[in-house]
Amino acid sequence: MTRNRILFGIGVLAFVSVIVTVRLGGFLVDNEYRQPDRQVAAQEELGEAELVPRQQGIADEQAADEAEARARPYEEAEYRTVPFVGSRVTVWVLAQLHLLFAAFVLAVPLFAFIIEFVGYVKKEERYNKLAYEFTKLLSVSFSMTATFGAFLTFALIILYPKFTNYLMHIFSPTFLPYVLLFFLEALFLYSYYYGWGKFGPKMHLFLGFMLNVVGTAIMFIANAWLTFMMSPGKRDDIDGDGVPDFVSAVSESGALLSLRDAFFNFTWMPINIHRIIANVAFGGSIAAAYAAFRYLQAKTDEERAHFDWMGYVGNFVAIIAFLPLPFAGYYLAAEIYAFSQTLGIQMMGGTFSWLFVLQAALIGNLFLGANYYLWLGMGRMEGGVHFQKFIKWLLIAIALCFAVWATPRYAISSVSEIAAMGGSSHPQLSYLGQMSAKNTAVNILILSTYMSFLLYRRTGRQSIHPHRQLLTRAQAIVFSSAAALVIFYGVYGYFVDSATRIRFAIPQVYSVLAALVVITVIDLPLYRNAAQSGETKWGRIPAVSQYALIFIALSFTWLMGLMGYVRSGLRQEWHVYGVILDTSPDAYTPSLGFATQVVSVTVLIFFGLIGVVFWLSSLSGKKDYAPGAAPEDGGRIEGGQAA
Amino acid sequence: MKLSVPMPLRLVLLVLGTTAFYMYLGQIVPQKESHPPPPVLINAEMTTEDLVAVGAELASGKGQCLVGCHTVGQSGPLRYPDLDGIGGRAATQVDGLSELEYLAQSLYEPAAFIVPGFADGMQAINQPPINLSDDEIKAVIAWLQSLGGTPNVTLDTDLGY
Repeated sequence: MTRNRILFGIGVLAFVSVIVTVRLGGFLVDNEYRQPDRQVAAQEELGEAELVPRQQGIADEQAADEAEARARPYEEAEYRTVPFVGSRVTVWVLAQLHLLFAAFVLAVPLFAFIIEFVGYVKKEERYNKLAYEFTKLLSVSFSMTATFGAFLTFALIILYPKFTNYLMHIFSPTFLPYVLLFFLEALFLYSYYYGWGKFGPKMHLFLGFMLNVVGTAIMFIANAWLTFMMSPGKRDDIDGDGVPDFVSAVSESGALLSLRDAFFNFTWMPINIHRIIANVAFGGSIAAAYAAFRYLQAKTDEERAHFDWMGYVGNFVAIIAFLPLPFAGYYLAAEIYAFSQTLGIQMMGGTFSWLFVLQAALIGNLFLGANYYLWLGMGRMEGGVHFQKFIKWLLIAIALCFAVWATPRYAISSVSEIAAMGGSSHPQLSYLGQMSAKNTAVNILILSTYMSFLLYRRTGRQSIHPHRQLLTRAQAIVFSSAAALVIFYGVYGYFVDSATRIRFAIPQVYSVLAALVVITVIDLPLYRNAAQSGETKWGRIPAVSQYALIFIALSFTWLMGLMGYVRSGLRQEWHVYGVILDTSPDAYTPSLGFATQVVSVTVLIFFGLIGVVFWLSSLSGKKDYAPGAAPEDGGRIEGGQAA
Repeated sequence: MKLSVPMPLRLVLLVLGTTAFYMYLGQIVPQKESHPPPPVLINAEMTTEDLVAVGAELASGKGQCLVGCHTVGQSGPLRYPDLDGIGGRAATQVDGLSELEYLAQSLYEPAAFIVPGFADGMQAINQPPINLSDDEIKAVIAWLQSLGGTPNVTLDTDLGY
């Protein structure tokens, strides 16, 4: 029935398109200039050689235009504009769409490969099927990525010809390897997808591995281009004083000095690391959204169970990648500060200070959504009630951390607000906006989410380990110690100088990372072969949980869009920071309100397109069309037999 | 009667609602477009007092000094040294450097001396991205001298850079 409706809809759309095209053509033809009949008659009377005054005027105008065009010397355009939308927004939307699809295409093979590998080691077919289900999303997404990549390239060449030419001057030696790698990626991707079940498991895993290697290499090359625009040089101790110095990859006029330094520039590796982790988190969330979409469409318990499990795995991947993401973000931010304090301060304390309030709201929602999904998931198993008493405490901790993280230190304020506060920062609340408070909040958020996951993992299971009490207490001590250390350094940071305070982030991060690792290492043997107090009933989860998965995917996508704005916007009026000035009418940083409008439109376009990807991917599971056969949903086939 | 919303419509509403919510958050925060700093005009007739005024303008604009880096008259945990009274104490900061030499060095070669308790990080302001001209730097020095000291810089002063 649904398929018939869609086909009917496509038919109507095609019909309307034809009618509109014909009408438009007719309108243009009807409105073109025609010689009045009286003029034709007059011209016939005068003969072909003589023109009426109006014709003469038009001919003179044309001749003058032609003469002017011939006399005009060729000038290379610096910028071109797009009516209504503008060049910047056009490139912005295209780049963001390209990046979102690229992130998805890079992330899915990564965890599809890992899931397939787990299935191979465990000899469980269900993992293999799950990995294949994820991979089904790739082929259409790959085409979308390439399409938007080509679109973006053309847009850059057309709209920013001079600047694009400059980037070509710097990076042209990297283009051929990029194209070759892209070709290899297509080869590995399609052989991985279409070769499923056609090759032996080791060979197939090798294809998956190579797909990931090539995909990552492509991203590394593209990252060099964009990070060069932010930090056109590298860090090296050139004077031997033990303090790294900035080594510019280009001269003051922009001429290339070292391709190596331009490529391996200051922020290249931090962006690589940040993007790999963020891509996996984003890819996991989109794959979970696909599973949620299929779960909500499912008609049988078997389908619901399968897609519930798939959604759980996708979300698990997203959350596991999401937990270290703030650390990668801090590393990137620290490197931006190390490259240029001006850039760093601009990012955290200047124009973009309110952006990080928005970012906090998004990340807070992501943590809340992820925890909510885990808490709902406890209903899949018997014995979930036992742990539900902890949920309210976790919720309080998450909400408090959320509030702290959302408090800015400096904020754009009106004159009256500044007067009322006695400065550009609030006398009390600004303490919560400092690095000490923010680091503490994010670390406690991570610990709380990990605690939710541990509770979920224990639901319906009873450890049979002989030292279970001791090990559980050890976990509690590690957890409490990490939390206490994080809070201690957070408070102590207010009583030391800024140089020392900045260094406190390191023990805070390490204590949380160590706690995650130690608790996991203890938990694995503790719950190995655990007694099941009840069966895990996949598919037994409220439908609202699936909407939570889609909400998480939406928030991730929006967050990526917002971070794209700040990363590019940081450069302000520079195409290449400190080297090539933007002299176009767009040489300013748009307001956050405008940026969120562009991000929202981009997210809506992306979700419209990813909906098409989901729909196309879901077709592969449908039965083949057979004339006269009953459709799957028991509807009618036009002209055929009733179901 | 229970109103049932079809699943596709729920999905559309969720996508539109979430996006609209985040966009709304973006609209309610203070809005600011960040434009390149306007050019500051310095001419040969400017007196030291004129330079102080121009320097103050540069410090909070093109020079980016007061945009989240330094403060004037604040205490507590600071990112970089507070500038209140710098004009008065500049002469005693580094042995062998006069007030003027110290201020010029801290602008042209900020890494040469780091105030104890603070991290290195300031960029030379005669280079991109800040890129102040020599005359603009003299104006900034005049403004710094005015914070607790007596400005004496003119456009003819030789800073040694």
